[in-house]
Amino acid sequence: MAPDIRFFTPDEQGIATALCDQLLGQHDAPTPEAKVPLVNLIDSRLAEQQTDGWHYDDMPADGQAWRDTLGALDADARQQFDSGFAACSRQQQASLIQAVQDRGADDWHGLRAKRVWSLWTRYACTAFYSHPSAWSEIGFSGPAYPRGYKNAGVDKLEPFEVHDARPSEDPLRGQRGAQE
Amino acid sequence: MSSVRDRNESAWLLPADGKRVNHQLRQDMRRFDDSDEVDLLVVGCGAGGSTMLQRLARAGWKVVALDAGPFWDPAADWVSDEAGSHHLYWTEPRVISGSDPVPLGSNNSGRGVGGSMVHYAGYTPRFHPSDFHTHTHDGVGADWPIDYADLKPYYEAIEEELPVAGEKWPWGDPHSYPYRPHPVGGNGEIFLRGAVHLGLTAKVGPVAIVNGRFGNRAHCIYRGFCLQGCKVNAKASPLITHIPDALAHGAEVRANSMVTKIEIDERSGRATGVHYVRDGVPHFQRAAIVVVAGYSIETPRLLLNSACDRFPDGLCNDFDQVGRYLMVQGAPQTAGRFDAEVRMFKAPPPEVSTEAFYETDPTKPYKRGFSIQTVSPLPITWAEHVAAQGHWGADLREYMSDYVHWSCLGALCEFLAQPDNRVTLSEEKDRHGLPIAHFSYSQCDNDAALMRAAQSVMENILHAAGADEVITIDRFAHLVGGARMATDEEQGVVDAQCRTFAVPNLYITDGSVLPTQGSANPALTIMAVAARAAERLISISRRGN
Repeated sequence: MAPDIRFFTPDEQGIATALCDQLLGQHDAPTPEAKVPLVNLIDSRLAEQQTDGWHYDDMPADGQAWRDTLGALDADARQQFDSGFAACSRQQQASLIQAVQDRGADDWHGLRAKRVWSLWTRYACTAFYSHPSAWSEIGFSGPAYPRGYKNAGVDKLEPFEVHDARPSEDPLRGQRGAQE
Repeated sequence: MSSVRDRNESAWLLPADGKRVNHQLRQDMRRFDDSDEVDLLVVGCGAGGSTMLQRLARAGWKVVALDAGPFWDPAADWVSDEAGSHHLYWTEPRVISGSDPVPLGSNNSGRGVGGSMVHYAGYTPRFHPSDFHTHTHDGVGADWPIDYADLKPYYEAIEEELPVAGEKWPWGDPHSYPYRPHPVGGNGEIFLRGAVHLGLTAKVGPVAIVNGRFGNRAHCIYRGFCLQGCKVNAKASPLITHIPDALAHGAEVRANSMVTKIEIDERSGRATGVHYVRDGVPHFQRAAIVVVAGYSIETPRLLLNSACDRFPDGLCNDFDQVGRYLMVQGAPQTAGRFDAEVRMFKAPPPEVSTEAFYETDPTKPYKRGFSIQTVSPLPITWAEHVAAQGHWGADLREYMSDYVHWSCLGALCEFLAQPDNRVTLSEEKDRHGLPIAHFSYSQCDNDAALMRAAQSVMENILHAAGADEVITIDRFAHLVGGARMATDEEQGVVDAQCRTFAVPNLYITDGSVLPTQGSANPALTIMAVAARAAERLISISRRGN
């Protein structure tokens, strides 16, 4: 079961949920239970001050940085779409998020946008790819303890592994194809 | 040299019953009182501190080591979970700045007995002879007050104690390793294949992972969790390579004890012991000699936080040297995509390396060089690579789903020592009310040129092996410097024996004393420097007696 929310306010939880679902493409999960509980996992870390062990001198500590940036994202939504971020349409949310990424090294609400982007993606990706359902999705065969791996090497499988189910779907070629 | 077991019995003191800890040894550990004046006290149980402790305990000294973190039990405390391994890192607050701020924590800072060797990859290359004279030979960096030959016997000793596995090593001072190289997985295979196509020499090793029988250490099971703490006891860290022998020879390891200040007697100018906090209660442990081994951020911080009337600007800081010349290595990682399935997670991340680009190449516009090694990021770390390319949302998920097709190499570029890359004290305080460390870092032009050169070589290797696409992430690895070894007190903090210039019974034996770092992972050199300092201390005391 996902840990209870202890750090975020209900408003922040709503904004963070919409943001994280966008960042990890979780909107289309068939049921709420099929989603990795990103916000609960991030909230736990912030409640316990389990940071990465550093913060930039021009950024507040991680907990405050999350609060400030969720507030700023909501302010952008109200200004542009006259609605809180969580209530915006998926397209509106995506355009607001893309705008932050596009600012790169420039300022966004008094913070450097790329540091905000790093904060969001670092926490969200750590939560998502720590989850066994994400491991299955990417073909990671798990921590293998205590059994270990006995058949390492290019194109070699353990008895319990399976090959990539869609070997021809290379996202890179897909992108190149789309651009050409 | 005598047999390893006669010098360091740690591997034979581990239990042979599948448990990873000799609980009896810890239970029977000698315990000193705060009021006992121990012969020597070590602050920090990582690579440098643990080696020191083991050597002096063996020589019959009364020694105690304090560590801010826990006394790990690999079976009970370490988990098979990338995110759940977060408690292995030093995550107390720190501030970073400069034109190229260096993230700390998981990347380079350990916590608890064993230090960052608990979560290092396991590569243990030696420095090259040239590393000790970069200023004289290349006009960059600094000269050490000691030479490669001074460290060589200690390199050999530590390589046997860890023990190190690898092919006969052709670079630097050519040497061989006590254990044969491990078989390689998909990632190592790709690196070797690319190197063959380019006519580039690459070798398997050197890794401090048992390959064969060594006391009661278990054989590697190739599960790829080296960076999350090796539950198997196959990968070396001082927790299993030096601490058991130290305990068996009467040393005390006092865990969960955060040292807050080194006390100096104003009249004699000598250290009298350290203040520390355990379970919220302040203590003072008396000691005849104090050794600091808190690594490049916490060692300078402790010295600066130990200011007193005699040292108003921080202990040993009369010449404004404490915290300066702190270095990282430029560590770009380049990944290549193959139609075949590489499954790089199936094997230890450290497999194959090349030091063919380590030395200054007179045909290049930059000085010094870089090494290239396999790195095999697990899912969370791999997501950092993909997210760094700008992907998010469904695009990120799709890209990530191709994980089994990727191979990944990492470089270590020798970044140069610069005085303004340093630790100072922040206005911000930790939970003990002590100012936290502020680490400022900026690259110079030579550093940036090495990053680009290393990336280009990694791209060539991966393309030569058949990669259709490559992506790169810029990052940093390792810490050294911050209290460097020098010939005099205006150039550094400690002398060639690791004794501080300012306080005669205060030593520093960790990575912070290294004046340069080459393109080698620093753990082996930190241990060798500590082992040498320990031997000097022992021989001085024998002469004194």
